[in-house]
Amino acid sequence: MAAKGLSRAEEVYHDRTRRVKELQAEGKKVVGYPCVYVPVELLAALDLVPYRICGEMREPVTEADRVLPASFCPIMRSCLDCALKGKHHFLDGFVAVHASDPQEKTARIWQSYTTLPYFHFIDMPGTIRPEAVEYFASQLKGLATTLESLSGKKLSTESLNRAIDSYNQQRSLVQSLFQLTRPSPPLITGCEIVKVIKAVMSLPVDEGNQLLAQVIEEVKERKQKPSAKRARLLLWGSTTDDVDVMSVLEADANVVFSEDCAGYRPYRGKVATAGDKLMALADHYLSEITCARTFIQNIAAPTKKDYQRDLESRYGYLKSIIADWKIDGVVLLLVRYCDPFAFEVPAVKDYFANLGVPATYIEYDYTTGSLAPMRTRVEAFLETID
Amino acid sequence: MTTSEKKRVINRVKAMYPLRAKVDESYQRSQEAIKAGKPTVWAMLNFCYGDPILKAMDIEVVYPENYGAALAAAGVAREYLDRSDAEGFPTHLCGYSRANFGYAARLVELGGQPPPEAPMGGMPRPLFLLSSVAVCDARYKWFQALGRYLDVPVWTLESPLPGIREFQLEGCYEEMVKLSIKHLREFVSFVEQAVGRKTDWDRLDEIVNLMMEINRVSHEVNELRKAKPCPMHSRDFWSAMSPALFLLGDLKESLQLYRNLYDEVAERVKNGISAIPEEKYRLVFAELPPWHSLDLFDRLAERGWNFVIESFGYHPPPPVDLSHVSDPLERIARYSLQRMVANYKDALQKNVVAGADVYIYLKYVSEWKCDGAFLHPLVSCRSASTHLPHLANILMERLKVPSLIVEGDIVDLRLFNPQDALARAEPFEEAMEHYRKLRREAGFDW
Repeated sequence: MAAKGLSRAEEVYHDRTRRVKELQAEGKKVVGYPCVYVPVELLAALDLVPYRICGEMREPVTEADRVLPASFCPIMRSCLDCALKGKHHFLDGFVAVHASDPQEKTARIWQSYTTLPYFHFIDMPGTIRPEAVEYFASQLKGLATTLESLSGKKLSTESLNRAIDSYNQQRSLVQSLFQLTRPSPPLITGCEIVKVIKAVMSLPVDEGNQLLAQVIEEVKERKQKPSAKRARLLLWGSTTDDVDVMSVLEADANVVFSEDCAGYRPYRGKVATAGDKLMALADHYLSEITCARTFIQNIAAPTKKDYQRDLESRYGYLKSIIADWKIDGVVLLLVRYCDPFAFEVPAVKDYFANLGVPATYIEYDYTTGSLAPMRTRVEAFLETID
Repeated sequence: MTTSEKKRVINRVKAMYPLRAKVDESYQRSQEAIKAGKPTVWAMLNFCYGDPILKAMDIEVVYPENYGAALAAAGVAREYLDRSDAEGFPTHLCGYSRANFGYAARLVELGGQPPPEAPMGGMPRPLFLLSSVAVCDARYKWFQALGRYLDVPVWTLESPLPGIREFQLEGCYEEMVKLSIKHLREFVSFVEQAVGRKTDWDRLDEIVNLMMEINRVSHEVNELRKAKPCPMHSRDFWSAMSPALFLLGDLKESLQLYRNLYDEVAERVKNGISAIPEEKYRLVFAELPPWHSLDLFDRLAERGWNFVIESFGYHPPPPVDLSHVSDPLERIARYSLQRMVANYKDALQKNVVAGADVYIYLKYVSEWKCDGAFLHPLVSCRSASTHLPHLANILMERLKVPSLIVEGDIVDLRLFNPQDALARAEPFEEAMEHYRKLRREAGFDW
């Protein structure tokens, strides 16, 4: 009998390409994307299978050294390294987005050293001003045009609406998944969530939704619950998509909320279903995804900005998480050289300090060798909040 | 030998000095401006996008990126870097930004007065901050992070940058222009509210024309540097670039100074005068120089290394005729976009899809006839470093030109070892000689 729920998530987590390769064998085209800012709705609407490209912590970076400096986002280095080693050769295409400087630079290098039949780079503005949203929508129109050529299909309003509905359903399901961590002890562990989300990002949307629904049902009904540990932690950072990292954080604590690009962040809110759909997608992806890459501020007057109001406009969404998930402490976990998030560290720490929640900043280099020092840092942090 | 005893070998272009002096003058003027109650703004290098508008509004502008370099050159950056670390900023962030965080923390500590130890009188407290998404994440995240110290708003200038292939899609360029014009119009409103007066559009129009003319002359100066021997060294380019790049001071005066520079360089070309005593090797430099160790270039000049072209990001865009465009904001938009997209078509034709910043060096090396590339990856500046390994590969693969890669940093001088760079000069000369032969065998003309 085919695996379901958490077993299925575990299976997909450990063999991420299996299902998409099966679909390829059935004639589907699979398009890789390295970042949650790629509007996967457009791919799905054209019957393409989106596949999230992730780094591999256990794979030493060797090939990427030929083309990227060492002092560079280790996740993008790892992704490119895998590509140069042929691990993504099965893809029919690749879509990158100007979500950060490392991604923009890596995309150009990627395009130069690999021979995928399809490649598209989406330019993305840095602000959420109306003219920036309009420009982003025009970039999405360009993406739709090239995807139409790849798929050999025309993008119809109906198919885009269906794709938006499916992904909105996925967002709702992930939001429900995270409700399962609100009780104490949580009904699902942070490690299990990493596996589920990564599996969902490796499957077509409907299969991902089915998996999420199964997991939610299974977790609610299962007898063996996770145990309550020393503290309930919020993880805030760029991307934590490896269960080994989460295991370090959860060795002595419950990570009950992961505010990162392999956690809750890509699933916040919903794409508006009324009005122009490209504008709706542009607005959603620019405004709802809380990655540090987008510039947000709150000013009091043309010559004045109030720091506290500014913090509230940038991190206000974290306040209810702290309260509703009864967070005891926050781990700001970043890979080294992640500039957009690294610039945020003192400010977000100020915000957590204002809320009276202890926070610690941990930096690692996306290798298994960095896990031991990380463990020491986490243990030390837990001692401070006991 | 102490630094002061070291021999100056590079034959500096005399007309460069008044252009370089405009940098110090601009700091001086901003100090005077604040004393006179004139608004001062901190801005990122914005490639002539926001600067003309600020200039038309009679706003003094200082550039923390430049000031970071000035702190490094004066050897006083360390204290500010340490302060940034103590404030909790990760140590791998942009060196300029870290120096600026330390500076801003000191500014707050002193009640808004520039620290007494700051070179050139320091940077006065700004009315607002003007950041830019162009080139790297640091250049807008940094100013956002300054909110911790300065309760002033930040305007973040958009800077569209599609891929080289995607740029060819129908309507892409016009959408970039549309975004830029709308965005600049909003920026004008913001500035008007901030300073409490209306834009003088005639003045803006004149400034835009002067800006384009200054940059055109600067571009022509660099074209002259294709001559053999090269009449003007990269050090003179870096020293003279700021009035064009940042629109410093009186623009009519700057235009005359660049014309003077052109005349002197042209005279040198006519008389076969080189920037160094004996040009044995012609080199390109990428990207940001080690501001704290510029003597290195004199030592390399002693060996016959002439740096003939450099630092794409600091160069003016290729001239473009925008006389038919009456709206100064549209002229700014199209001119600013020209910097990146001017080479997109050529880059695509030559199948260099890794971006204008890679393609341009192929152009530099082949047109300025370079024997080698000196690549300077920076530990704390990813945007000026990421393309360098690929650049080294493509220069070798397409043009048989070798690269010397010397790591360093723009601010933290502990991360750069000029002696190590010098020790590698001799073997690199052998490589340049070797590939010179191979190029000739392969039919290249240099």
